[in-house]
Amino acid sequence: MNRFSLPALGVGLGLRTVHYAHILEHQPDVDWFEILSENFMQTRGRPLHYLDRVAERYPVALHGVSLSIGSTDPLDMAYLEELKALRDRTGAKWVSDHLCWTGVAQKNTHDLLPLPYTEESLRHVVRRVKQVQDFLEAPLALENPSTYLEHTSSAIPEWEFLKELAREADCALLLDVNNVYVSSRNHGFDPATYLAAVPYDRVVQIHVSGHTDHGTHVVDTHIGPVVDPVWELLREARRHCEASVLLEWDAEIPDFETTHAEALKARAFIGEAR
Amino acid sequence: MKREITLREVQVWMVGAITGASVDASSVERFVTDGPRLDAAARFEIYRSGYRARLVECLLDDYPVLAKTLGHERFEALATAYIDRHPSSSPNLNAYGRHFASFCLECAPEELGVPASFASELAALEWSVVEVIHAEAAGPLDVGELQRSPPERWARARFVRSEAVRLHRFDHAVNRHYQAVLDGGDATSSTALARSPHITPTLVYRSDVAVWRMDLTPMMHLVLGPLLAGETIGGALGQVEEEVTEPAQLEELGQNLHAWFAAWSSAGLFARIE
Repeated sequence: MNRFSLPALGVGLGLRTVHYAHILEHQPDVDWFEILSENFMQTRGRPLHYLDRVAERYPVALHGVSLSIGSTDPLDMAYLEELKALRDRTGAKWVSDHLCWTGVAQKNTHDLLPLPYTEESLRHVVRRVKQVQDFLEAPLALENPSTYLEHTSSAIPEWEFLKELAREADCALLLDVNNVYVSSRNHGFDPATYLAAVPYDRVVQIHVSGHTDHGTHVVDTHIGPVVDPVWELLREARRHCEASVLLEWDAEIPDFETTHAEALKARAFIGEAR
Repeated sequence: MKREITLREVQVWMVGAITGASVDASSVERFVTDGPRLDAAARFEIYRSGYRARLVECLLDDYPVLAKTLGHERFEALATAYIDRHPSSSPNLNAYGRHFASFCLECAPEELGVPASFASELAALEWSVVEVIHAEAAGPLDVGELQRSPPERWARARFVRSEAVRLHRFDHAVNRHYQAVLDGGDATSSTALARSPHITPTLVYRSDVAVWRMDLTPMMHLVLGPLLAGETIGGALGQVEEEVTEPAQLEELGQNLHAWFAAWSSAGLFARIE
């Protein structure tokens, strides 16, 4: 059990539009679904119709991409209000987003941009995570990002930054082992070093996914099956915690059964083979 | 002593360089390190190209028929120009493409390959589909009580339109073109038909989860237009009386008015009666 007493939900799937009809018609035996928060914000229509039915039947957690926790623009309180309302509407077990920033000065890139890992950034993000958690009245789970560049101003390895951030802000973590793999390839570090530094009592969820290997660099596309090295990182991470596991598949998404079968492979790596 | 780069400086530079028309190589080297296999410029380019690709994909999701009509290259050029003109400032992309129809009107015909007015109307139709998906839909409205009430009461009654209804009066048969493309027809030849002026009142609405597009007869439009604009039933029918003089039109009205009201009410075009 993690230090926040958040439940271990098993092996879940990211809820995707192309699977709505199958899920509602067949009510497949899925442990839980992760909901992309922004897909159900700024809408009063059909997306919520589907979401309500899924949330009635399955445990869900919210996963966002637009909190922009690292931005030097003020926190978007309207966004947070809507996020909190969505959390309450769905009964989501927790809310997560990324250790990143998405824009500044009123421009949003809709990308998960890497922070320079400095003392200044650390102080800045700690302060904002505390603000968000006070507002949500719940722990926020932050996910380690996949990154394609490093800043000249960075002075702290990402894994140490993340560990210190989690300790000082007292937040939860969403450990994406594919992101660890992707960044390790792009920046030339050993993923085992990263995993060894993770404070596992704060990890409430683990992501696995596919990626695209361009040879010179790897991109976190969430396409295709999970590769063996990533499954092995999952095995290693789960040796230290019982966090819920989730497969993300976001492009060239196959039918529901294929996607779910890929997620269920996780059981073989976490000692929950059924 | 060398001054440290602040987090704000990093972020303002990075967003400017990602969203701007070009990026200065020396500035990239100031902020970004070389990687194991890619230099700083190549690493940064992953974010720069990703920004436009992501927003083009978003516009493609909203305007699939326009994209097929214009062809991939023309649509991508149009979308990229739109992105440069309308950088996103919102954490949510649901409304990002809202200016696309008016943006098309600013384009030269040779950029689009079709008349700008046709492209704009097609975009307006597709944007209505997006809007009604995200709007709150009304269920079937029971008008039995109203029908049983004396004429003086229903003449003063007013239908309140559902949020999930849009009514257009297009100068081209864009809905016919839209359906032909969805049905797998040749977008080019269908365009040739639809580009010639042909006034077409078109209704877009959502009923439960299904989105409907429907071309209206001039007479249907004459009745429904004022009702959706908030006119009382008596007022709307009064307008019709002023407009309709041809015996054939009067006959159409007499034969169909009851059925139209029943159909529109059960389809959820109206949220309630006031």
